[in-house]
Amino acid sequence: MIELEGIEKTYTRGEVVTRVLQGLSFEVEAGEYVAIMGASGTGKSTLMNILGCLDKPTAGHYRLDGTDMVQLEDEALSELRNHKIGFVFQQFHLLQRTTARKNVLLPLIYAEDYPENAEEMAEAALEMVGLHDRIDYRPNQLSGGQQQRVAIARALITNPAVLLADEPTGNLDRRSGAEVMAIFQQLHADGRTVILVTHDLELAEHAERVIVLEDGQIAEDRPVAKPRDAEHELATLTSVQEVDE
Amino acid sequence: MRLFHVAGEGWEALWANKLRTCFMMAGTLVGIAALTVIMTIGKGTERQVMRRVENFGPRAMMLVAGGGRATGPPDAQITTLTLADMEAIREQIPGLEIVTPQAWATRAQLTRGSAQTRATLWGVEPEWHAAWDWYVADGEGITDEDVATMARVCVIGSSVKRELFGDEDPIGERLYVNKVSLTVTGVLEPRGSAGTGGGDFDNRILLPITTAMRRVLNVDHIGAVRMITTDARRMPEQAEAITGLMRRRHGIRPPAEDDFRINSPLAVAEVVRGTSRTLSILLMVLAALSLFVGGVVLMNILLISVAERTPEIGLRRALGAKRGDIFTQFLTESLSVTFLGMVLGSGLGAGVALAIRQLTSLPVILSWEPFAVGIAFALLVGLFFGVQPARRAARLHPVEALR
Repeated sequence: MIELEGIEKTYTRGEVVTRVLQGLSFEVEAGEYVAIMGASGTGKSTLMNILGCLDKPTAGHYRLDGTDMVQLEDEALSELRNHKIGFVFQQFHLLQRTTARKNVLLPLIYAEDYPENAEEMAEAALEMVGLHDRIDYRPNQLSGGQQQRVAIARALITNPAVLLADEPTGNLDRRSGAEVMAIFQQLHADGRTVILVTHDLELAEHAERVIVLEDGQIAEDRPVAKPRDAEHELATLTSVQEVDE
Repeated sequence: MRLFHVAGEGWEALWANKLRTCFMMAGTLVGIAALTVIMTIGKGTERQVMRRVENFGPRAMMLVAGGGRATGPPDAQITTLTLADMEAIREQIPGLEIVTPQAWATRAQLTRGSAQTRATLWGVEPEWHAAWDWYVADGEGITDEDVATMARVCVIGSSVKRELFGDEDPIGERLYVNKVSLTVTGVLEPRGSAGTGGGDFDNRILLPITTAMRRVLNVDHIGAVRMITTDARRMPEQAEAITGLMRRRHGIRPPAEDDFRINSPLAVAEVVRGTSRTLSILLMVLAALSLFVGGVVLMNILLISVAERTPEIGLRRALGAKRGDIFTQFLTESLSVTFLGMVLGSGLGAGVALAIRQLTSLPVILSWEPFAVGIAFALLVGLFFGVQPARRAARLHPVEALR
């Protein structure tokens, strides 16, 4: 599904050459749930941009679902992102002035063909993330967790090959974070490929495999013996809250 | 379909920021309004020029006593234009089909019993009718015999008939001009009030020229010579020849001022155009300024908007928008704003034009042309000033934009 082979990324500012990624190679199978972990400055964001086809590596090959994105022009990369990748960002990146429904529909505008049943698709996606009663709310009428769930619905609407989440709980409280993580686990259970980029080990251990980056190289690539169960955490959080109250 | 959706994103941005949209639109609106007013006045003026030229006669020239002004009636103080001058033109200037003299008096007092009125009096020869293409509706025109015998007859305009005779048949009836009794032999076709001076063309009375000069006015000079050329293209050359002839005969050497002038359709047109020219030039400056300043404002607001919405652009790129989609979205904003400004500006312009028609004497004609020109200008402004911001937005790198 995802094959990285000798990925390098080098930035040149004047005479200073920074080698952010220094020859990464790994594969992710379809249906896997992988966390990419690393402290800031380890090349995590750069790798995330490359995985998301937002940026090209300086050297190496990256095959996504059989396509080597390194060969592609800007226009074809846009199409690839539209078809194959669902993004979930730390800052949600919703359009503020428009409804949840229209936010979810946004990727379809840029698809080859605008599906006839787009409205139903958007409603189904919002229902999947538990927001069927918030379809026509604007982002400022929603909580942070709800906004992130709209963003997840938006990421899913094109039925992408891979869901790419960058610190998706970074701006959320514990409970909302757990809700988001529970959704990811559910998506994984349904057979979706999920890549979670985070600096937080606890969060990373919700995945079934953790790749740790250090200084632009893979320091560790290990399976998680017993992934954390977000549903369970959510239940715990709820009962603790109930006790508090 | 895709284009429609992408354009829709631009429209939503306009709708969501109405005040901003108004600012973006203002210049185009004012500019197109001014343009519309210019064009409606221009069209009205040209229609008026055509009508005046048609009235004056497209192949006609007038040698008129008194220099200075471009049009208008002869100067009554000037007594130097004579029948001999007219004869000289007849003999010496080639290519003139008709050369006919007109003696003249303004506001002549006409009486019939207790009814009286004032009208312009013209002493003419029979050729006057052909020279003005203006014949009698009733009775007979001025004849050679009338001129030869100094007959006490007259032909009256329809306004004079109405004033003095009402519904009666005036043919064969008598009226008095300066205590001279004249028999009405004919009534002229009505012509309305579209004279070069703007007065009532039908408020006139024609006498045989001999009767007018000897019996009524007691003068030796004439007011004007009416000429019809065989070929309108020769007019400038003929006018020059007549000017030379008159200067010689009247002993005038430039820089001394001429005591005559020559009116032609061109001069008539000039006068009509002159009245609306100043306003048109002012409006032209306003239109050009508004469109340019408005365009610059539009461009700057869009550039600010691109900067403000950089993360949004990054997001769209991440979700699969191509550079072309982003370009289209921002150009749609620009073009839609100018188009909207055009529609509102055309409406405003039409309203102002109608107000001008109500409040002034300027000729104004509404038509589709200002609308077409407005669309062209609005789209031009939208394109010219929208391309730069749209291009800047499209060139943003998704990674940089999302940061």
